[in-house]
Amino acid sequence: MKRNLKSIPGQSGLIGIFIIAAALILPGCTKNFEKYNTDPTKLSAAQTVAIAATAFGPMEQAIYSNYQIAQNLSADAWAGYMMSPTNFRGGINNLNYALVDGWNSTGFNDQYKLVMAPVSKIAQAGTATKAPDVWAVALLIQVEAMDRVTDRFGPIPYTKAGSSLTSIPYDDQQTVYQTFFKQIDTAVINLRAFTSNPANAGKNPIGTGDLVYSGNYAKWQKFANSLRLRLAMRIVKADPTTAQQQAEKAMSDPAGLLTSPGDDAAVAQSGTRNNDLWTVTIAYNGDNHLNAAMGSYLDGFKDPRAPIYSVPATDGTYKGIRLGIDVSKGAYKTLASYNCLSTFTQTSPQLIMTAAEMWFLRAEAALRHWKGVGGVVEDPQVDYETGITTSMQQWGVTPGTYLSDATSKQVNYVDPINAANSTPAISTITIKWDPAATDEQKLERIITQKWIAIFPDGQEAWADYRRTGYPKLFPVAQNFSTNPVIDATIQIRRIPYPSSEYQTNATAVANGIKLLGGTGDNGNSRLWWDVNKGNF
Amino acid sequence: MPRIQHNILLTMKLTVVLLIAGILQVGAATTSAQNVNLSVKEVSLKKVFKELRQQTGYNFLYNSKMLNETLPVSMSVKDMPFNQVLEKCFSNQPVTYVIAENTVIIKRKPSVAVSVVQQITVSGSVKDIKGEPIPGVTVKLKGTGTGTVTDTEGKFQLTVPDANGTLVFSFIGFQTEERAISGGTTINVVLKEQAAGLGEVVVTALGVKRSEQSLAYSTQQISTEQVNQVKTDNLMNALSGKVAGLTIAPSASGVGGSTKVILRGSRSANGNNQPLYVVDGVPILNSGNATMQPNGTFGGSSDGGDGISNLNPEDIAGISVLEGASAAALYGSLAQNGVILITTKKGKAGKAAIDFSSGYSIDHTAYRPKFQNQYGQTPGPVTGDVTSWGPSISGAPDNLKAFFQNGTNFTNAVSLSSGSEISQTYLSYANTYATGVEPGNKLKRNNFTLRETGNFLNNKLTVDGSANYINQIVDNSPQLGIYSNPLLSLYTFPRGADILPYKNQYLNPDATGFDRQNWLVNNTGDFHQDSPWWIVNREPNVSQRNRLLLNGTAKYEFAKWLSIQVRGSLDRITDDFEQDFYSGSNSLYNSNGNGAMKVSNQTLTQKYGDLLVNFTVPLQHSDFKISGVLGGSITDTELNGYTLGGNLSTPDFFTLANTIVTPAGQVAPSTNPTNVSQSTSNANGISPSHSQLQALFGNVDFSYKNWAYLTLTGRNDWSSNLSYTPNVSYFYPSAGLSLILTQMFTLPTEISYAKLRGTYAQVGNTIPPYLTNPQNTQGAGGALIFNTSVAPHTLKPEKTHSTEIGTDLRFFDNKLTFSFTYYKTNTLNQYVPVNYSAPSLVTTGYVNAGNIQNSGIEFTLGYDVLHSADLTWNTSFNGAMNKNKIIDVDSRDNINVFYLTNDGNGYQSELVKGGSYGDIYAYNILRDGQGRVVLGGDGTAGHPYTPQKTSTQQLVGNAAPKFQLGWSNSLSYQRFTFNFLIDGKFGGNVMSVTQGFLDESGVSDVTGQARAQGGVKVNGVNGSGQAVSTVDPQTWYTTLGTRGGITGAYMYSATVVRLREAALGYTWPVHNSAFKSIKLALTGRNLIYFSKKAPFDPEIAQSTGNGLSGIDVFNQPATRNVGLNLNVNF
Repeated sequence: MKRNLKSIPGQSGLIGIFIIAAALILPGCTKNFEKYNTDPTKLSAAQTVAIAATAFGPMEQAIYSNYQIAQNLSADAWAGYMMSPTNFRGGINNLNYALVDGWNSTGFNDQYKLVMAPVSKIAQAGTATKAPDVWAVALLIQVEAMDRVTDRFGPIPYTKAGSSLTSIPYDDQQTVYQTFFKQIDTAVINLRAFTSNPANAGKNPIGTGDLVYSGNYAKWQKFANSLRLRLAMRIVKADPTTAQQQAEKAMSDPAGLLTSPGDDAAVAQSGTRNNDLWTVTIAYNGDNHLNAAMGSYLDGFKDPRAPIYSVPATDGTYKGIRLGIDVSKGAYKTLASYNCLSTFTQTSPQLIMTAAEMWFLRAEAALRHWKGVGGVVEDPQVDYETGITTSMQQWGVTPGTYLSDATSKQVNYVDPINAANSTPAISTITIKWDPAATDEQKLERIITQKWIAIFPDGQEAWADYRRTGYPKLFPVAQNFSTNPVIDATIQIRRIPYPSSEYQTNATAVANGIKLLGGTGDNGNSRLWWDVNKGNF
Repeated sequence: MPRIQHNILLTMKLTVVLLIAGILQVGAATTSAQNVNLSVKEVSLKKVFKELRQQTGYNFLYNSKMLNETLPVSMSVKDMPFNQVLEKCFSNQPVTYVIAENTVIIKRKPSVAVSVVQQITVSGSVKDIKGEPIPGVTVKLKGTGTGTVTDTEGKFQLTVPDANGTLVFSFIGFQTEERAISGGTTINVVLKEQAAGLGEVVVTALGVKRSEQSLAYSTQQISTEQVNQVKTDNLMNALSGKVAGLTIAPSASGVGGSTKVILRGSRSANGNNQPLYVVDGVPILNSGNATMQPNGTFGGSSDGGDGISNLNPEDIAGISVLEGASAAALYGSLAQNGVILITTKKGKAGKAAIDFSSGYSIDHTAYRPKFQNQYGQTPGPVTGDVTSWGPSISGAPDNLKAFFQNGTNFTNAVSLSSGSEISQTYLSYANTYATGVEPGNKLKRNNFTLRETGNFLNNKLTVDGSANYINQIVDNSPQLGIYSNPLLSLYTFPRGADILPYKNQYLNPDATGFDRQNWLVNNTGDFHQDSPWWIVNREPNVSQRNRLLLNGTAKYEFAKWLSIQVRGSLDRITDDFEQDFYSGSNSLYNSNGNGAMKVSNQTLTQKYGDLLVNFTVPLQHSDFKISGVLGGSITDTELNGYTLGGNLSTPDFFTLANTIVTPAGQVAPSTNPTNVSQSTSNANGISPSHSQLQALFGNVDFSYKNWAYLTLTGRNDWSSNLSYTPNVSYFYPSAGLSLILTQMFTLPTEISYAKLRGTYAQVGNTIPPYLTNPQNTQGAGGALIFNTSVAPHTLKPEKTHSTEIGTDLRFFDNKLTFSFTYYKTNTLNQYVPVNYSAPSLVTTGYVNAGNIQNSGIEFTLGYDVLHSADLTWNTSFNGAMNKNKIIDVDSRDNINVFYLTNDGNGYQSELVKGGSYGDIYAYNILRDGQGRVVLGGDGTAGHPYTPQKTSTQQLVGNAAPKFQLGWSNSLSYQRFTFNFLIDGKFGGNVMSVTQGFLDESGVSDVTGQARAQGGVKVNGVNGSGQAVSTVDPQTWYTTLGTRGGITGAYMYSATVVRLREAALGYTWPVHNSAFKSIKLALTGRNLIYFSKKAPFDPEIAQSTGNGLSGIDVFNQPATRNVGLNLNVNF
C-alpha cells in the first residue's frame, strides 16, 4: 500500500512539471513575434530617413512608367510619331481607336501610385517645412507627371488626392491647372530661397538621387519656369488671361528658361531599367516603328535629324507606317523604325523637356504679342529659328540650308505593301520663316517644327495637335471605335477613364464625367483647354 | 486483524480507483514473475492468501461471503511463479481472480463456467489471402472473455468450454471472420483485408489512434498497396479516383512535377488551398523551389516539384484522408483545407524481413493535337511568316515524332525490417530514375530512411525516431506557356515541311564562334519562337533538392489512464536552381546577346515540437467513458535564400561572376553626363520569412455504452504573422457526435453496422508573414521605394465554419458497405487585397472579407461480390459532388471581383460575387439577339467577313468538376490478382489557348477541314443585316485564335472518363528458398480515355497554385504509362 501511495504522488509531480513546462515553454512566449514579423531585407524607419533623397530617381522614372502601353501605343501614335507593325490584340486596339482599357489605365494609375503617393509620403515626413528645397523638386516632378495625366483624361482627382480610400473627388481641369501654377510658385520661391542663401553654397541635398539634374537647383529653377510656360500656352484658348499672365511670369523670372541643350531635362536610367524606346523597339522585336506622318515630313523636309531619329526603311527613305492600318497584311517591320542603335540606346536618358521646345513656345508667345524674356515682345522669327538650331544642336547635326528652304514640303505617303493605305500629303507648310504669312500659317510653321524638334515626346506633341490642329496629320486608316465612334476627322481628343475608377471610385468618377462635359467619357469629348475655335 | 481490515479497506478504496482507471488486467498474463514457496494441506483460501501476501507483498481483496463457498486447498510447490500458484489455487473453485497493480481481487466466476467440466482445445492458423500468416490476430470465443492471439506463425490454440461456440477472428485492417466450432478442433481461417475507409482503428489528428466508430466525421483510408500498385513519380497522383471528395490535378510539367490536391473544393481566395501533409503525426512542408510555377499564362518558369512528391511511396504504411475542417480542427491553421495523414512503416517485432521492389514503366503522350495535312506554309517573302495558310500539299511528315520520346521510370526500393519486442528497426533505400516525354527532362531521386522504435522501462516508455534524407535532381522541367517552351514552335511548325533537318543540326555556328540556332525563324514574330532543340539543349534548367526530415517521439505511460508524449521534428529543404540561356537564345531572355543565367538557392526549415497528455478519466463502472488529449505545439518556419541572375559578360560562360552587375552608365547627347547610375546587385528578392505558430489544444471524447460518442475540441493559436495587430491569438472549437444505431437498437440482421454522425467545426488560418508590417524597400539601383500600401492593423485570421453530417452503413455481414456525407463550409474573414482607386494614393490594403462556400456530398459504396478460397472480387465506388459559391468578395468595399489570374492571352480566372471559385472569363464571339454571329467587313477580298468579339469578357466556364466518380475493382484468382480503377470527372469547362495558336497558324485539323469545305460555316449576319453562311477560314481562325483573341471559342467540356489504373499481378509459389514471396505485376496508368472532349487532358494543370486552372497553354500532354513491377520478400 505504501508503495502505491508513494509512487502516485511522484507521478503526479512529474505530470505537474510537464504541464507547467508546457504552459511556460509553449504559448505565451510571443515576445519575439514582432521581430519575426519584420522583414530583414526591407528598410527600417531609420534607414528610410537616411536614404530619403534616393526616392527621387524612381519618381522621375515613373513619369514614363509602363511606357509602351501608357504612352507609346496612345499619345506617341496619335501624335503622328509612332505606329506599330505588331498586330496587337488581333489588330483591334488603340492604334485604330479601339481603346484598350488595360493599356490606357496605366497612364492614369501609375502616376498616382508611383509619383503622387511617394510625394505624399515625403509630405507626411514634414519635408515641406523641414526641407522646402527638397519639397520644391518633389512638387515639380509631381506637376510634370500629373500634367501628363490631366492632358490625357481631363478632370482628375488632384487637390483632394489621398483624402479618402473609397471616394476621391475629381477636380475640373481649370482647377488642376490653377493648382499646378500655385505649386510651381511654391517650388520657385523655395528654390530661390535656398540658392540665394550664401550658407547653402555648394550644397546639394538630393544629389545623385536626382536622375534629371543630379540635384542642380539652378537647373531645377529653369525647369520650373519652363514648365510654367508650357502649361500657360496649353490653356491659351480656354483662359487667355491666365495663359498670358503665367507665360509672362515664366519668361520674366530671373532664373530663366531652358535655353540650350545643356539645360535639357531627361531622366537617366538606373539599375536594371532600360530606355523605354529601346525596349519597345529592340527588346520587343520592333513593336515601335515610325509613323507615316513623321516620315512624310522628315523625307519632305530632307531633315538632317531624320537619321538621328530613325533607322530608314529598306528603300532608304524614312517611310513609316500609317496609323491604324491592318499590319497583318505584310512585313511592315521593313519600314522605318526609331533609331535605337545609336540614339535611343539601352541606357540613354529619356527626355521630358528640351530647350528647343522653349524657343518654339517663345515664338508662339511672340506671335501672340506677349512679353517675352527681358519684358519685351520677342521676334518670332528669331525664336523659331533658334528653336530649330537648338534642336539640331541637341542632336549633333548642322542645319545647313535648312532654315532657308522655302520649297520643301511634306511628301505623299505611299504604302509599299498595301496601296489602299497610301494618301497624299495634307500639309503645304514649308520651313523658311515667312514674315508675311498669316498668323495661322506662322503657327502651323512653328508647331510643325516644334513637333519635329520635340520628338519623341508624343505626349506633348499630341497635346499641341489637339490645341492647335498642327502639324496636319493623316487620319486613322481604320477606325474600330464603337459606342460612340470617334470622329476620325477631328481625331481622338482624350482617353476614357480607366475601368478601375468605375470600380473603386465610382461616385467621384461620375462627377468627373460631369465636369468633363462634352459627349461624356469617350474619345470625342474635348478637354477644358481644347476649345473648338480658331487659334487666334 | 484490525490492521488487516484497515488494509483491506484501503485496498478497497484503491481498487475502486484502479477499477475506474480502467487498468484491470484480466488473467495472469502480466503478473509479476515473482516466485513463491507454498506447502499447505486442506486449508482455506483465506489462509493461503495470508501466506502469499507475506511472501509477495500482494494484497488480496475479497468478499468474505464469497470465500465461504470455496473448497479447501492442498498444495506443495517450491519456487513456483506466483501466477501459476494462483492458477492452482483457483482451479475448480467457484471464484476466480484478477490482478490490479499489487492487488489480487477475488471475484465470482461467470455462473456458466462453474459447472462446465467438458473442455476442448481448438487450434489452427490464420492467413491472409496471399497465404501469409498473420500474427497478432485476436481469437475470441463469441460472447465471452475467453480468447488468445495468434503467434508469429499465425497459429493459435484456445481452450473453450464446449464445442457449441463460435470463434471470432479479428485484426486491424482485416474483416472480422466468425467460425462455428461445431465439434471441430482445427480451424484455419483466411482473413480478408478490409476495404479502405472501414478500418476499425484510424489514425486521426496529431497521430492519435481512435476507433472508427467514435469518429464524427468522414475519413478515408488508403493502404500502401493502393499507393504502390501502379507507380507514379508523385505519390499523390496515385490517390486520384480513390477518395471521395479529393480532386487531384497533376501539373503538366513533366517528371517530378507538382500536383494540386483539393479536398472538398477551393476555399481561400488568397491563401493556400492544398491540404496539410502530416507524416507520423508531424506536419511537413510541401513547398516547391524558388522559381515556383508560372502564375500567368505566359509561363516562363519551371516547376521543381512539390514537397510531398519527395517521399518514397514504399515507406508508406497507410494514408488517412481527413477531409473536413472537423477532422482537422486540432491541427489548426493550415488544416482548414483538410489533412493528408501519412503513416510510415516501422520495424516489426519478430522475423527480419527484406522487401525488394522494382518497377519499370514507359510513358508516352496520351494524345496529340490534331493537325491538318492538306495545306503547306504560307508563301511569300515575308520573314517570319511560319503559318500554314499556303497551297495544297500531299501529306505532311509527323514532326512531333521527331521531338517526343518515350518517357521511362525505373524505381528500385529495398527495405529491411527487423526487431525484437524491445526495439525495432526499419531501413529503406529507394532510387528513382525517370525521363520525360520531352527530351532532356529527367528526374533522379534517392531516398534514405532509418526508423528506430523501442520500448523501455517495462514498455512504459516508447521511443520512436526516424531520419529521412532525400536528394532529388530534376533536369529540364518543361516551361509551360509561351516563353521558352519547345512545344510552341514544334506544334506551329509549317505543315508539310520536315523538321528533321532542324533536329539533326540545331546549331549553326557563326563567325563569332558561338552557337546560333538553326531555325526557320529567328528572334522574330510575336510568338517568341526558338528551336525546340535549342530550348532543351541551350536553355537548360536544373532543380536540385536536398531534404532532411528528422522526427523523434518519446511517450511515457505513467498509468494506463495517463501518458505523456513529447515529439519534435525538423524538416529542412534546400533547393538550388539554375537556368542558362545561351547567347543564341531569343532576345527576350538574352537582351545583350551574350546569354543570361538565373540562379536561386533557398533553404526552408520547419521545426515542430509538441507535447501531448493523453488521459482517460476513470469511470469504470459507469456506462460513460471520458478520455482525451491536452497539449501544446510550436511550429516555426523559416525561409532564407537568394536569387541571382543577369546578362553575361563573356558569352556562354555560365558563372555568377560573369554576370553583369552594373549596367553601363549612360552618356548621351545633350544630357548631364554625371547621371551615371549603377545597380547595386543582381539579387532579386527572395523575401525571407519567419513565422511561428504556437498552440494549446485539447480534445475530450465522451462515450456512452459504446454507442454514443461526443467529441469536443478546442484550439488556441498564437501566430507571429499577426503581430502588429491588436490580437495575435485566436480560438476555435469543434463538436462532433457519432451514434452507432446497431448498438442502440436491435436492427434487422441484414444491417451489420449503422452509424450516424454529425459535426460542427471552426478552423482559423493565419495570414502570411509581413502583411501587417509594410516596410519601405530599396530598389535595384539603391533607391528608396516607399511602400504605399495601407498598414492593415485590423487584420484577423481567416476562419472556416464547417458542418458535416453523414452515415456509415454495412449490410449482409459487412459485405456491402455504404458511407454518405453531406458537408457545408463557409470560409470567412479572408484576407482580401483591396486595390483602392489610384488617386487614394494607397496602392493596396488588406481587409477581412469574403465568404466562399463549398457544399456537397460524398459517398462510398463497396461490395464484396465474391469471396471464396480461389476467387475473390471486391468492387467499390466513390463519388463526390461539390458546389462552390462566392457569396461575397468584399461588398463593403464595393469589391465584387478578385483576380486569381490576371488577363493574359485571353484568359482570366476570377472570384466573382455569385460565381464560383476560379470562374474563367474571356471574350466570346459577338452574336446578335438571334444568336447569329455578327460579322465585320463586307465580304470583299480587302474586307473579308470577320468575327467580332464581345465588348467585355464574359463568364465562359469553370474548370472544377461538378461530379466525380471512381470505380475500383480488385479481383484475385488463386495466385493472380487484377485491379482496375475507372474514374470520371463530369462537368466543368476548360480553355485551350494552344488550340487557338494552332488555328491561327493554320496547322490545326479544323482549319484544314474548313478550307477543304470552302470556308467556315456560320450562322452569321453582316453589317447590313444580311445573312452570311461562309467565312474565309484564315480570317475566321486568325481572328479567333490570335493571342488575346476570342478565346471564349476555345472552351471545351472538361468531362473525362478514363481507365485510370490497371494492374495484373501474379505471385510465384516459392518452396524451400530464400524468398518468401515473389510477385510480378503488369501495370498501366491513364490507359484509355472512354470520353474526353477537350483537345487536352482537362485534369492536368498549368500550375498547382490557385490560378491558371483549366487552361492549356502549350502544356505538356498527359502521358499514358505501362510498366512492370516486381516485389520480392525475403
